[in-house]
Amino acid sequence: MAARPVLVTRARRGLGRVLVTLARSVGIFIPVFFVATFVTFALRAMSGLSPARLQLGEDATPEAIHNIESQWGLDRPFLVQYWHWFTDVLHGQFGVSWVNGADISTLIGLGLGVSLSVAVIALVLGAVLGLGLGTVAALRRGTWVDRAITGFATVISVMPPFVVGIVLVEVFAVGLDLLPSGGYIPPENGIGPWLAHVILPALALSFDVVADVARQLRTGLVSAYRENYVLGALVRGLSPRRIFFRHVLRNGMGPALATIGIKFPSLVGASVVTEWIFGLQGFGRFANDSAQAGDVPAVQGVLVVSVVMVVTFNLLINIVLGRVTPASQRGV
Amino acid sequence: MTTLTESPTTTTADPVLSVHDVRIRSQVDDREIVKGVSFELTPGKVVGIVGESGSGKTLTCRAVLGILPPHFEVSAGAIHVAGEDITALTPARLTAMRGSTISAVFQDPASYLNPSIQVGAQIAEVIRVKKGLKRRAARQRAIELLTAVHLRDPELVYGQYTYELSGGMLQRVLIAAAIAADPQVLIADEATTALDVTVQAEILDLLADLRDNAGLALVVVSHDLAVVAQLCDEVLVMREGEVVEQGPTDRVLYQPEHEYTRLLISEHEQYGLEKFLSREGR
Repeated sequence: MAARPVLVTRARRGLGRVLVTLARSVGIFIPVFFVATFVTFALRAMSGLSPARLQLGEDATPEAIHNIESQWGLDRPFLVQYWHWFTDVLHGQFGVSWVNGADISTLIGLGLGVSLSVAVIALVLGAVLGLGLGTVAALRRGTWVDRAITGFATVISVMPPFVVGIVLVEVFAVGLDLLPSGGYIPPENGIGPWLAHVILPALALSFDVVADVARQLRTGLVSAYRENYVLGALVRGLSPRRIFFRHVLRNGMGPALATIGIKFPSLVGASVVTEWIFGLQGFGRFANDSAQAGDVPAVQGVLVVSVVMVVTFNLLINIVLGRVTPASQRGV
Repeated sequence: MTTLTESPTTTTADPVLSVHDVRIRSQVDDREIVKGVSFELTPGKVVGIVGESGSGKTLTCRAVLGILPPHFEVSAGAIHVAGEDITALTPARLTAMRGSTISAVFQDPASYLNPSIQVGAQIAEVIRVKKGLKRRAARQRAIELLTAVHLRDPELVYGQYTYELSGGMLQRVLIAAAIAADPQVLIADEATTALDVTVQAEILDLLADLRDNAGLALVVVSHDLAVVAQLCDEVLVMREGEVVEQGPTDRVLYQPEHEYTRLLISEHEQYGLEKFLSREGR
């Protein structure tokens, strides 16, 4: 009789929570987006970077410079330029590169294809190994297994990915000749070759994720095991396995999940050195090269994609966390 | 009306819980923390344990439940729950016994429920695991239990989280979860301590209700003599791990033999409200 309205209320509350999280993310996204893009735009205007310098070199005549700048629309008022760029972005257009006139959306797409492949595999490896090691360490807390895992996590967390990368190339590509040492083949040309090309850089990048996730999960689980509700569940006669999966894991995995969410954007964008070692033309390298060349439209594009990526991932993690531990949404 | 511990011949039914000269030792400093506790409990009866904090009340209860903290062990004596020696049971048998034969509720009920799961679902979980009911039937049964512990609007409470409920409501939920698998013995360890006086009285009424209607045997642990006086047939007074006085509630309260019991009672008289009221009336 009364069950229906209660069920409806509950469903509505669940949906409401997701919507609130969504609204909060959008609320954060909009100002961050505007401030970040506006600042880069303003920096361009102030630094005097211009396509004319890139194309004509240092000793170009003022007329030639003016010509090129008006071709690019740079002689128009600042806010007009910003508005034009902004409306283009809403249509998915980031404009063309000052350096080579290529379409920036296409360039970013290519770079993202490479970087996302590597980052996703790295994240999967990092999450699986990290969650596994963290769980084992927490269940065997205080024993030599726990100490060995904690030690291992510390060791691999201080090894920079480029060093790991070089060692992996030495062992698997040069020494054992099992895997290619570099380059990239898109998954359309076969999953096998694609995986063979991305697995080593992904492994190199995953070490850091493994270490962080394992440590966060271990800490989270150990402190969850100290909570009274574990004792409560024990007294009600629930089995240790059920207590772990239903009660401890659920409350202890929040920080580890948040770590995974924070790691992903940096795996995509901040792996320039690793991309160099493995000869990958990824998103990180594209960002780096564009910034060094003073290619402002490309940098703007990179910025927008990065902001979207970070905000989207935070949103996803917040929704998952909201479902796993509802109390965390209230700041309890 | 009460069962004397050392004379099983007077019992009308088999004891559901019998604790015989239990001693608990700390392995860290090799000290005996609980020095010989004995009592027997038959269905529908209530044993009270009073004493100051640190007197070994809670450790005794945890020994009975088989959940002594690390580095503590039962060094001597025997604990039988429904005829089985719990110190000899395998962990799996202990798990099977907890909840369905013996269960417990504690002080600070909010902390003994999972903050991330709806409280009703936690009761339903016990029913599904211990009684093998299907999801829907377990939910129905959980709502019946919430009604049985006198919660208004049980349907609504079912879907709420611990942070949405008051202390008194949470204690009712905790009791519902504890009795979900129909145990014969319920240990209430300071179950009313953190609650305000009116709620405390309601919870005590509820426990008395369960004793009368479900034939539940209760172990009531408290530092408050008033709680014990209201509910218990037999009282154990503990101090520094020793039982200094044990006997029928009326006898212990009206003719205390040990000076510590007298101290507890006189403190109650000295600081209790009755004293204050009688002084005012004079």
